Amino acid sequence: MISGLVVTHGALGEELVRVVTLVLGPVENLGALSNRGLGARDLTQAIRGWIAAEPQQGAGGILLFIDDFGGSCANAAQLAVQAGPAAGILTGVNLAMVLDFLTWRDSLSVAELSRRLVEKGRQAIALLGPGAGA
Amino acid sequence: MGIVLARIDDRFIHGQVTVGWSQKLRPHRIVLSNDEIAADPWQSRVYRSSVPPRIAVEILSAESTVAALAAGPPGERVILLAGAPLDMHDLLARGLPLAEVNVGGMHWVKGKEEMLPYVYVNRTDLDVFRAFLGRGVRLSARPVPGARETEIDLPLIAAVEERL
Repeated sequence: MISGLVVTHGALGEELVRVVTLVLGPVENLGALSNRGLGARDLTQAIRGWIAAEPQQGAGGILLFIDDFGGSCANAAQLAVQAGPAAGILTGVNLAMVLDFLTWRDSLSVAELSRRLVEKGRQAIALLGPGAGA
Repeated sequence: MGIVLARIDDRFIHGQVTVGWSQKLRPHRIVLSNDEIAADPWQSRVYRSSVPPRIAVEILSAESTVAALAAGPPGERVILLAGAPLDMHDLLARGLPLAEVNVGGMHWVKGKEEMLPYVYVNRTDLDVFRAFLGRGVRLSARPVPGARETEIDLPLIAAVEERL
């Protein structure tokens, strides 16, 4: 099983994980970290610490979900897994990506699942309402 | 050389800099001055990748920073980043002219006391702040352009020092 960690600003990640459990019930090997109050070094350490504390310690691979490309969370994620387990890093996390991740993480590799989730995340962005037909 | 922002920030290049300050100040170049990152190709690559393509980026050791800034084209707008007060003061001591330093983010680590919710300091930091003021450099704390600015002056430094 691939483990997942959502790393974001504020409580975005914690809330995403909480909302996912409202849809699917309790899930294992899925966590959230906030950059709240943490410098680059400490956030990097926090990500490494979470992976090390995982029951599988990333043996099945790790996917890190980040809110924004080019932010402190994306920087720390890249620094944290430089020499670590097989890890994918995806930015622009949304609810559809996390739900799809939980559906497919037992049957795909980190690389396959990463590509799938990028596509699923993009598909989840749609223009609805009166502006859609213009 | 035109430093439009000299900033102390232990997250270095992130959204507050590349979006917040860069939208306001329109820099041509971001210079990250840090010996450890400059010597580490992977860390350098990570921070480089966080800068939008329209802005040039250089990651330099303290030793190279002052000369590189002096050699910049006239009219160039530069955001200069250092990770700690001592690192920024080192550049000043090496001859970099600075009139004002922005304190943008110094996060909590063990042994530090809160000055502002995004600025935690120890005695070394406070000594360096005093050294800046002694050289006539203004210190202002502000995470992003729209936020309230706090002047870091001798009374504020003394008030925090009492709690250490």
